[in-house]
Amino acid sequence: MIHDSVIRPQLITGDKTLHDVTTEICRPIENKPSTSWTVGFILSVIFLGILILSLGVTLAYGIGTWGLNKSVQWGWDITNFVFWVGIGHAGTLISAILLLFRQKWRMSINRSAEAMTIFAVMCAAIFPLFHMGRIWVGGYWVFPLPNAFGSLWVNFHSPLLWDVFAISTYFSVSLVFWYLGLIPDIATVRDRAKTAGRKFWYNFFSMGWTGSVRTWNRYEVVSLILAGISTPLVLSVHTIVSMDFATSVVPGWHTTIFPPYFVAGAIFSGFGMVLTLLVIARKVMNYQDFITIGHLEAMCKVVMLTGTMVGLAYITEFFVAAYSGVEYEQYAFINRATGPYWWAYWSMMTCNLIAPQVFWFKWARTTPWFIFMLSIVVNVGMWFERFVIIVTSLHREYLPSGWVMYSPTMTEIGIFLGTFGLFFTCFFLFSKFLPVINMAEVKGILKNRE
Amino acid sequence: MIDKKLYLDQNKTVMFGIFEDPDKFLDAVAHVNQSGANIIDCYTPFPIHGIEKAMGLKRSLLPVGAFICGCLGFITAATLQLYMMHFDWPMVIGNKPTVGVSYVPVLFEMSVLFTAFGMAILFFTRSKMIHGKIPQERVDLRQTDDRMVIAIATDGQSVDKNNLSNMLFNGGAVEVKERTNHGYEDFTDVDITKGSNINVSANH
Repeated sequence: MIHDSVIRPQLITGDKTLHDVTTEICRPIENKPSTSWTVGFILSVIFLGILILSLGVTLAYGIGTWGLNKSVQWGWDITNFVFWVGIGHAGTLISAILLLFRQKWRMSINRSAEAMTIFAVMCAAIFPLFHMGRIWVGGYWVFPLPNAFGSLWVNFHSPLLWDVFAISTYFSVSLVFWYLGLIPDIATVRDRAKTAGRKFWYNFFSMGWTGSVRTWNRYEVVSLILAGISTPLVLSVHTIVSMDFATSVVPGWHTTIFPPYFVAGAIFSGFGMVLTLLVIARKVMNYQDFITIGHLEAMCKVVMLTGTMVGLAYITEFFVAAYSGVEYEQYAFINRATGPYWWAYWSMMTCNLIAPQVFWFKWARTTPWFIFMLSIVVNVGMWFERFVIIVTSLHREYLPSGWVMYSPTMTEIGIFLGTFGLFFTCFFLFSKFLPVINMAEVKGILKNRE
Repeated sequence: MIDKKLYLDQNKTVMFGIFEDPDKFLDAVAHVNQSGANIIDCYTPFPIHGIEKAMGLKRSLLPVGAFICGCLGFITAATLQLYMMHFDWPMVIGNKPTVGVSYVPVLFEMSVLFTAFGMAILFFTRSKMIHGKIPQERVDLRQTDDRMVIAIATDGQSVDKNNLSNMLFNGGAVEVKERTNHGYEDFTDVDITKGSNINVSANH
């Protein structure tokens, strides 16, 4: 039935039986939370509190509390928005594109990466939503809703509106994909449940799943179709995010290289965050047999490839500016590298282009603590990339009278730190109540099934 | 070919073979199907590739549904944008045409959105799945963990039950049961041991 290659190493180590997989993956759900989980969760909730406080300040006093000014009308907030959306790209990429390419190593990591996608998009959504000021009337600005203001419709020519459609589609489709993948595993937890509460809730969400082959047959078809439509969706989302910039006439933004460059950057940052989370999770939750060094190595290769692609895009941008002969474009790029924000530019270059090159060495790809350090570097680098694109292009306008320096306020810093609180609170809850690894898929790739 | 109208609760007597090895299970399912017995369904903790062929299941028609949902999304997005931007209040911005390529992103996104949700709704409807449903077809609590179950209709069967149970045991079944249905949700399960005479135990 399954042809085992003699060359390929085992994806799941430790000679697991089917029952071992169930017991080990269900362990965190069925037992009391560990000390490390509790400490991590409390810390995340504290940061979530900072988010609520900062958003409260924003709502009470208006977005004047953000450090935006006439020239830099998009600052940290859009930087953070693009940063989080980018992180949200790895999940669906892993589960959709790697499914189409039949990459079986995705099976141990797709569940947590998809969860990460959903939480990251939630964090991203906070920035544009609160940027509208009175969020409770904001529905009229972003969705084509019938309203009492006459024929006040949204503008379908605007890339910002395309973004609303792209992000909300991406979020909801990812949620459906994730939940569908969870159903068989929720049923497994349900059938092992001892307490009444657990029996009720897991039964509620398992939707009567019994593992019937007729249902599996349809389920596989649905998964394949969802993967098929999610693949162009992943590519479209960051393409459209890049159009927020590329369709403008601001030097440094007005460039056709943006869509592929943003997509590569999104995959790069997404994998960076997946590595950050999984290097810790596999250790803390004792999942080393499921998320092996082989899995980490494969992800490091993706990071190296996409980091190099992003680096190529940085250099191409310079070439295009020089070759175009447009002095505004040329100035924008010279200013990026040597102007007042030179430190941001060179942080970006170092973290995104130079640092991932260490993954050419096998030692670097197979040493977890080193991978963890480098994944943090990637996260920082990708945040700087968005900061460089947004702030350096805006702080030097066509008119020198509009030249300013931009610095974030406490509220903005609070919201940014707070989104990490939201992200990690969701992730900790997910790791406590749902199986972090897709049991049904992992069972299908076990070698020693006796 | 598997009969779509066969359901566990509607059959008077059903025989279950419970397996622990997926490869042996797959072979046994193919054997039972070839012997002409009516397989009601199989239950597995993970998707076993090739089992739908061994059972004689047809390929699902859900992709057709997906295509229709996608088209519906496309038409909805086109109508929405045309009505708002062209008919109800023609919005001329930067002298761009009111109908143009700027419609493409929303057309694409809505097609994807409708396909995904349409697929999920069709899948749940077709599989009779809903939140909070109590699963009726749980033969073994471990069928979502590490055991595979085959359910065979045995009422009005031309196939000899003894042959069937022997076929299951020889194929590697760890347990064989026969269920007698006395009415809605009222069943009796009888364990069959290897080599036993089933007609005696089933009449019990």
